[in-house]
Amino acid sequence: MDIIEVNDLTQDYGHGRGVFNVSFAVKEGEVFGFLGPNGAGKSTTIRHIMGFSRPQSGETKVFGLESFHNYYKILANVGYLPGEIALPEGLTGVEFINMMADLRHCKNTERLDYLLDLFKLNPKIETKLMSLGDKRKLAIVAAFMNDPDVLILDEPTSGLDPIMQQNFIDYIKEEKKRGKTILLSSHIFNEVEATCDRIAIIKDGRIVSTFATNLIKHNENKSFEVFFDKKEEYDRFLKTLPKAKLKMEKIISYGVKSKNDQELKVEIACQDKDINKIVGIISDFKVKTFKQVKFTLEDYFMQFYREDKDFGGVEWKKKKK
Amino acid sequence: MEEKEEVIKVTNLTKDYKNNRGIFDLNFTVYKGETFGFVGTNGSGKTTTIRHIMGFIKPQEGNVQVLGMDAWKDSCEIKKNVAYIPGEIAFPDLSTGIAFFKAQAELLNLKNMDHANELIKRLQLDPSANLKRMSKGMKQKTAIVAALMGDKDILILDEPTTGLDPLMRETFLELIKEEKAKGKTILMSSQMFDELETTCDRVALIFDGRIIDIADINALKNADSKAYKIEFIEREDYLKFKKLKFNIIRDQEKYSQVTIRIEDKKINHLFDVLKNYRLKFISEVKFNLEKHFKEILQEKIKGGENVQ
Repeated sequence: MDIIEVNDLTQDYGHGRGVFNVSFAVKEGEVFGFLGPNGAGKSTTIRHIMGFSRPQSGETKVFGLESFHNYYKILANVGYLPGEIALPEGLTGVEFINMMADLRHCKNTERLDYLLDLFKLNPKIETKLMSLGDKRKLAIVAAFMNDPDVLILDEPTSGLDPIMQQNFIDYIKEEKKRGKTILLSSHIFNEVEATCDRIAIIKDGRIVSTFATNLIKHNENKSFEVFFDKKEEYDRFLKTLPKAKLKMEKIISYGVKSKNDQELKVEIACQDKDINKIVGIISDFKVKTFKQVKFTLEDYFMQFYREDKDFGGVEWKKKKK
Repeated sequence: MEEKEEVIKVTNLTKDYKNNRGIFDLNFTVYKGETFGFVGTNGSGKTTTIRHIMGFIKPQEGNVQVLGMDAWKDSCEIKKNVAYIPGEIAFPDLSTGIAFFKAQAELLNLKNMDHANELIKRLQLDPSANLKRMSKGMKQKTAIVAALMGDKDILILDEPTTGLDPLMRETFLELIKEEKAKGKTILMSSQMFDELETTCDRVALIFDGRIIDIADINALKNADSKAYKIEFIEREDYLKFKKLKFNIIRDQEKYSQVTIRIEDKKINHLFDVLKNYRLKFISEVKFNLEKHFKEILQEKIKGGENVQ
């Protein structure tokens, strides 16, 4: 069953900003990752799913209910963590938590204590005195304390330290096991890689790719950089090794992936099984250094991020006196 | 040794917020032209320290000096030389990014916007966007441009890459390296170890409001040698390799796997040897600031337990 549905969602803010014909669905019990560059439309899409904005065209649904008109009903069973956190002033963490609990008519103290302990948050402090990380933790606790079935998380770990990021990843995995449906937007690849079943990439307001995480995980591809002292050795090496054949980032046959004449550097792509052949070849050459370049999900995604747009700058006009 | 010019000097700085929060007896110096990193868990005191340096907070004890002036008393004079990116961004009530940059330029007495426009282009920022409607990443980019456009000698950056996508993070780090090359003095806090590792000369680890360690990155990277992890397919190969005189820093018998440290200039010898073995894989084990600090923290915690 589809818990979250986005059908042909369009919201045009002008100047090419907004989201355009975005469609995807998140199934029950699935963790769905949402990736894309800054300003690509991740938060805009999420805010539509939450029912905060009315779509220009298309629609979003949660539990089969159209978002904008049913946002109260939806919110009752959705834990939403916004990308930017604004807390009311003059409250302590405890007061904020109580306020949210009243608003949501929930009193799950067991869950609350569990979350406070997991994220090591001392809620007795005034929110004004909290660090950015503390505020995020408070928002996390408030969003999940009524143990909702659906979690919608907009860059949940930005601003968290690495230990808390790991705690958060563990928490997501735990929630996944408990059957929760999760939509997660993020820039942090290893968190997406570790948690998500499927991933959609959004760019300039349009979904450009959707795929299962398994497809690019567990690959045996390796990349090595070999540096030479002497140009002759470098040239000889390039003649010896064939060019690598790649198809959709998959290695068909090992060999030279790229070279750099200035640095006398050769990048080799190969699979684990080719390693002996490569070592055999390298042993015939005078090598300066040899380094492994890790191939990660990040490398795969980076190709979607690269762009070079000219938005124009600030025109300088001298003020007339 | 040549005398290094002290740009930021933090002496016995203490601010106790009670409940074991705050900063306690901090001491460190950032020298001219240096990039100094600041890393620590949430709430460990990074921002509090930075706010003292900026002169927003009066120290309870100790003091902060910037360019030989007192950070609290002379904050106005100091700010003429300092660019600052705050950890939490709040913009003035202006319509667009362009309006904000113009206001900022006036404040800074800038004669032209060339540098600002260059930054805007490299960060792929659309400055015509409504300031309030900007996404988090766009706001962060706007703050970066506003801070760097004045070409100040000292940069104080509180988690400047929060919310940036990976490509923009890369671009930002390039910008920082360029600023460093221009001779700027930079203090930067971050949650990302790799970020500090690639940009900083020294990195301080702050924990519960105290500086636990200051790592000299260049010395630690140990540029002349590397560690490699090698796994053998045949048990005999593994045993045979171990008898050779390589510097084995880790031995995992269960997997027929060794990690060796070898000088770069001896790398050819290693390959000569290895071509006679059947390898499952070979990979470099890179220096890692995170690992380094984790070990120090663990020692610290262990040490503390022993005392009690």
